[in-house]
Amino acid sequence: MTTTISREQWGSRFGYLMAVVGAMVGAGNIWRMPYVTGENGGGAFLIAYFLLLYLIAVPGLMGETSLGRHTRQGLLGTFRKLYGNNRFVGLGLVILIFNIVLMSYYSSIVGWSIYYAFHALIGTFTQTEFDTAVLWQNFSGNTALNVGMHSIAMLMVTGILLLGIKGGIERLAKWMMPILTIALIAIAIRGLTLPGAMAGLEFSFSPNWEYLARGETWLAALGQALFSTGLGWGIALTYGSYLGRNDDIPLGGGIFTAIGNTSFGLLAIFAVFPIVFAFGISPTSGAELAFVALASAFGSMTGGYLWALLFFMGFFFANLTTAIAITEVGVTTYREEKSTGRSKAVLTICGIIWLLGIPSAMNADILGYLDFVVGNWGLPLATFIIMIAIGWKFDASRLRVLSLNRGADLYIPKLWEPIVRFQIPAIMLGIMAYFLYSNLSQTPWKTVSGLALLTLLIPLCMWIMSRRRDTSYATTPSGGQPS
Amino acid sequence: MSLSAIIVMTASIIALWGVATVALSYSLRQEERKLALIQSQGDFEPLSPRAQRDLETWLARHPEEEPAREVRELIELQQQAMQHNPQRFYDWSTIDEARQ
Repeated sequence: MTTTISREQWGSRFGYLMAVVGAMVGAGNIWRMPYVTGENGGGAFLIAYFLLLYLIAVPGLMGETSLGRHTRQGLLGTFRKLYGNNRFVGLGLVILIFNIVLMSYYSSIVGWSIYYAFHALIGTFTQTEFDTAVLWQNFSGNTALNVGMHSIAMLMVTGILLLGIKGGIERLAKWMMPILTIALIAIAIRGLTLPGAMAGLEFSFSPNWEYLARGETWLAALGQALFSTGLGWGIALTYGSYLGRNDDIPLGGGIFTAIGNTSFGLLAIFAVFPIVFAFGISPTSGAELAFVALASAFGSMTGGYLWALLFFMGFFFANLTTAIAITEVGVTTYREEKSTGRSKAVLTICGIIWLLGIPSAMNADILGYLDFVVGNWGLPLATFIIMIAIGWKFDASRLRVLSLNRGADLYIPKLWEPIVRFQIPAIMLGIMAYFLYSNLSQTPWKTVSGLALLTLLIPLCMWIMSRRRDTSYATTPSGGQPS
Repeated sequence: MSLSAIIVMTASIIALWGVATVALSYSLRQEERKLALIQSQGDFEPLSPRAQRDLETWLARHPEEEPAREVRELIELQQQAMQHNPQRFYDWSTIDEARQ
């Protein structure tokens, strides 16, 4: 039977909630949400987004967290408890690999934010006639500097994870998330007092109802709801595995996590777009918005040093808490699989990610390719696998009565079960099919090679886990008892 | 700003910041209640009346299946907590009134 090694628990409710929201609030909330909202009909997009958030992200996060709390295991341990010790544990390995690959290039983004937070600290953006586009070009073209920042990012993640769940992740999140909130509120207040700022809010919130009839609006809302909340990546499952047996999940792990995460997106709209419009910057998304346009705007503002520092420190905090969560998925799993100490698990997983991340740090095309594959198919596939495991293998009905409603601050009715069993997996298949359809003609090589990689990864992982079963573990029956 | 944009903005603030703030404060208050119960009587009932009814219904439908054992354990835990603890975490007033 799978053993459950002695597990830490979250030290406080507030700490857990900050950690899990911190895990989900990342670069996407700050540089993507405002733009996607404005581009897809403003208020119309927000309505589609809210609907999908409550229909998919909230129930999905509840399921993933309660499964983790029930099994008290990381990814592979959970799959072993569900499927028994056979090749299907390889499905958990597939998700783990997606996480590691995701983190391998996300650490470069953390590195960028560290670099810009440092420049904000030394007052670079407020220098006279300073050109932020040149800084970004020089930084992007400097391979050694990018590898260095990626290394610093991984060193930070390693250091925090070495301190453990309570002493590292929780302590950090309890400070960083309130600071991020205050920083964004302060920037929003400053931004809203700028002349022309209201045009930014008009762009973001003005409802263009015809967009609700467009498929693209719903897909954009679906993408934002899924990728922003981190549903199905194993993060909620891993963090849930450190919850106490009678801790609430529906309100904290479900509603607060999804809505709290989106609240940061809304805060980013208030913080970013008034400044973007006040300075006549082209509203765009991605690295260019944060590192070129906003950096330039801060330099031109009165008290620009403070606003740049608040923004880039907040941006760095958001990225770091997400990076820690993604890495923790691998650390928890490795620790359990190898029955080893936390320090060794942290050093091993962070070392692997650091090595794998070097190509992405050296070449933005590699980063873009990995993001394309993982974002388009890897993460929807991971969500599909986890929801099938929850809904069908463990049984959604059993999970709801046994774990989800235990110690709950909010009763979850039977309606939750078909959402997890049918609705979310069907949507995941649909989104993968749409991405395939929409990308095949535009980027055939990337699409075909990415799909080929994924298609090979599943049987390979299943083969690896079937080979391991006779060496380390005895067979555990389906849905084995938690230790 | 147009009126429609102001309405959407206000609705978004209520739907997001409002809900998040209420959820956070309610969750923290409930946790304080749980901790107070643990300090005063050792534990509390893990299931609400509706959650207990769901669990019993599930067990009645799947009495022979392997997972039934852990369901029985949880029901037993619930019954013990209900018997031994004078204070409740969930609201049982309507159930108690119905029994009387």
